[in-house]
Amino acid sequence: MMSNTVLVISGLVAGPLLGGLISGLDRILTARLQSRIGPPVLQPFYDVIKLLGKEKMVVNVWQAFCAYCYIAAASISLVMFFLRSDLLLILFIQAVGAVFLVIGALSSTSPFSQIGAHRELLQILSYEPLLVLVTVGIYLETGSFKIATVYSWSEPLLLKLPFLYLVLGYALTIKLRKSPFDLSTSHHAHQELVKGLLTDYSGPFLALAEIGHWFEIVLLLGFCSLFWATNWVGMMILVAVTYFLEVLIDNVSARMNWRWMLGYVWAMGLSLSLVNLIWLYAG
Amino acid sequence: MIKEITAILILFPFLAALCCYVFRFSTVRSIIVLTTGGVLAASAIFLIPMTPFSIAAPALPGPGIHGIIQILDFLLLFIILYFGFKHHSLVIIALAAFQIVLLAYFEFFLISGEAAVTTIYCDYLSLIMVLIISIVGSIICFQALPYMKNHETNLQLTKTGQHRFFFVMILFLGAMNGLVLSNDMLIFYFFFEVTTLCSFLLIGHDQTETAIKNALRALWMNSLGGAAFIVALMGIYHETATLELQRILISGTPAAGVYLLSLALLCFAAFTKSAQFPFQSWLLGAMVAPTPVSALLHSSTMVKVGVYLVLRLAPVMANTFLSQCLACFGAFTFLSAAALAVGQSNGKKVLAYSTISNLGLIFACAGLNTPESILAAILLIIFHAVIKALLFLCVGTIEQHIVSRDIEDMRGLYATMPLTALITVMGVIMMIMPPFGVLLSKWMAMEAAARNLYAIVMIALGSALTVMYWARWAGTLMSDPFAGRFKPESQPILTWGALGSLCAGAGILSISAPWLYRAMLVPALGKAYLPPFTANNGILENVTGAFAVFPLSLVAAVGFIIAVWAVKRAAGARIVMPYLSGVQTTESAVFTGPMNRPVKAEAKNYYLSSIFGENRLTAWINLVAGVLLTLMVGGAL
Repeated sequence: MMSNTVLVISGLVAGPLLGGLISGLDRILTARLQSRIGPPVLQPFYDVIKLLGKEKMVVNVWQAFCAYCYIAAASISLVMFFLRSDLLLILFIQAVGAVFLVIGALSSTSPFSQIGAHRELLQILSYEPLLVLVTVGIYLETGSFKIATVYSWSEPLLLKLPFLYLVLGYALTIKLRKSPFDLSTSHHAHQELVKGLLTDYSGPFLALAEIGHWFEIVLLLGFCSLFWATNWVGMMILVAVTYFLEVLIDNVSARMNWRWMLGYVWAMGLSLSLVNLIWLYAG
Repeated sequence: MIKEITAILILFPFLAALCCYVFRFSTVRSIIVLTTGGVLAASAIFLIPMTPFSIAAPALPGPGIHGIIQILDFLLLFIILYFGFKHHSLVIIALAAFQIVLLAYFEFFLISGEAAVTTIYCDYLSLIMVLIISIVGSIICFQALPYMKNHETNLQLTKTGQHRFFFVMILFLGAMNGLVLSNDMLIFYFFFEVTTLCSFLLIGHDQTETAIKNALRALWMNSLGGAAFIVALMGIYHETATLELQRILISGTPAAGVYLLSLALLCFAAFTKSAQFPFQSWLLGAMVAPTPVSALLHSSTMVKVGVYLVLRLAPVMANTFLSQCLACFGAFTFLSAAALAVGQSNGKKVLAYSTISNLGLIFACAGLNTPESILAAILLIIFHAVIKALLFLCVGTIEQHIVSRDIEDMRGLYATMPLTALITVMGVIMMIMPPFGVLLSKWMAMEAAARNLYAIVMIALGSALTVMYWARWAGTLMSDPFAGRFKPESQPILTWGALGSLCAGAGILSISAPWLYRAMLVPALGKAYLPPFTANNGILENVTGAFAVFPLSLVAAVGFIIAVWAVKRAAGARIVMPYLSGVQTTESAVFTGPMNRPVKAEAKNYYLSSIFGENRLTAWINLVAGVLLTLMVGGAL
């Protein structure tokens, strides 16, 4: 019971701390790739603290509701991950947050928010099935959906599920709002969509959305870590390399449209998953 | 005592329905409907401690129970034949005649002696169905009272048809109770046909041209199911020499031959009832009827007949090719109906496709045939019934207010109908989010399907599509303009009662899922399936996974309270106009355009009809479903 409390608290603390730090590193790395120096590593924290101190302004009170629900779901899903619970259930809870963020954006009539929200729904539509299939792959290999079992598995999953790790990469790119999939909103200004999904979130509510996003980053990197769960060094290297590749892809690719995203991600993601899953069924 | 309560559950509605038809005063009708609903719900609850039980055929004077059912059966088929002639529908005439001939041959020449000794059998699966039918069905009938009054005022009818309407509605409940309680397959068949006729009458209630057309379509499609049913009965009797459901279930797993084919035909009949592809069109057409009819057909009656029948038969089908086909077919329906729902802006159509989709998932679970999946199927039946009834009643209420069922017209509904909009959003949330029951069953279904490659891929895709069409709808309801203080609109007390009780009921059932699991679901799995989970401290857990129902509900409740508190505080925040590139005017969604003229900014939902449109997909989906069906029936040969 005691250790569970520790895990819950560490999940709640690690989410924003690690997530913010990773965002800071991301910005520096991106800047270096573009021959800039970039902001200090703690800049994301300064931004969020500033946002939290701003005046509360809403277009519709439901935005406040949705922002809180988003951060609640994102933090619960990370805590569940720390508690080594059921992977599929964690996915579902994470989806709750994503959906609330969309509902909040839809509660404004601004076309920027509306279109951003619909694009976000398409993004969810693109990555959600892939994440489920990755989880299914993990289940087929380890015989359980529970993270506890995965962490006690004697062999790195990456060796058995290489294609599924690539599939997870697609989902990760979409979820981290990286090009070519940063359709609904992104870290950079969108000419055609302003801030898209997040256009009408402002002040403290935008800060909540940002912190929620940090939780999600940590959760997804946690997912990646499952693929080399046998020792810490391997895990760290895998996660670091993966994140570096994400930043690289972000910087070398242009933003595409949703038709391409849905078609490409489903086609590639499903074929890769199928091949890998068939191996597992046959094996 | 058991006999009396069973008799009340089945026969009382028939009597009450007759009273509704005879006494054509609205007060009397209201009293009859309310009393019937109360009596049914109470009797169903009284049944709980008595389950399981069985009742032998009562020794009636004259022709006995079999004789009576026989007479009624033929009477029913001749009524259907009559409607076939009346509307010049060759298909209906042919199917009815086919059934009459076959039934006559079967009853008078094939059956020797007593084919079924135990007439009524009630285990926990039947009990769950009886509870759903009697409670959810009654609530829908209650709401129909104010609805139909409005409905007839809106249509400016001079002559009321309400006596006919409530006659059929209440009759339907009795027939459903009879169906799920009967152990004699011939009686089952009789009630099966009664529900066909009832739905025909209800869909055609408004007697407009479309209504009649759609009602006829429902009649012929379901008659096709009836025909398949009677053929299957003959096959089963030929193989097992009994027509008792419970005896059939213990007769062992058929490897092949006539028996397996008969089971495949029963599945076919179930698909027509549950409006699976390619028979979906009758259910889609059913939305021309007044909304309580849709609510009844989609939630607690009609479509649940099919899934109930297949779930009943699931133990005999274990480890057969038929079962595998069923899993594939169901998963395919789940996916394709969800895809079609994405393409719809008509609220009732979205609900209809969602029903088809969820029923597909139930069939898939029955086909997967593991303890987890069967459990998921039963849970899904329960939660789908309650929430779908709720959502249909919400849409009905909204439709009478805004005179449209299009989701685009519900934009910003919160401003005009805050409470109804909120309840609708609650319904949507309970359809797609943990810790609520539908998601609990979906979770079980996915974990059970993980070993079936086809099923899991289709279920994964389908469930992402499901999230899309529901989230879009919920967001649209909550849209601008901001309404200011929350002030519930006025509605008849029966409407609020129905919406409130269904919404609260779904929530309470979700939270009490672990308790429900121990008290009813494990016994409902019967001897054929071992209990798949342990339920300790409100956590459903086994080796492969865990769903923490109580803890999650608690955390979700805390999160919800904080969010509501945030809304309260945000009401004091500065309300600003949506962002319109800095040229917004003081009016919501209006910006200063060229020549300083005000321009209204508009954005509509994505329905992606170029990908998910009906005219794009339906033909292909029907084709694939047809192929899968052929595979299923043919594979049994």
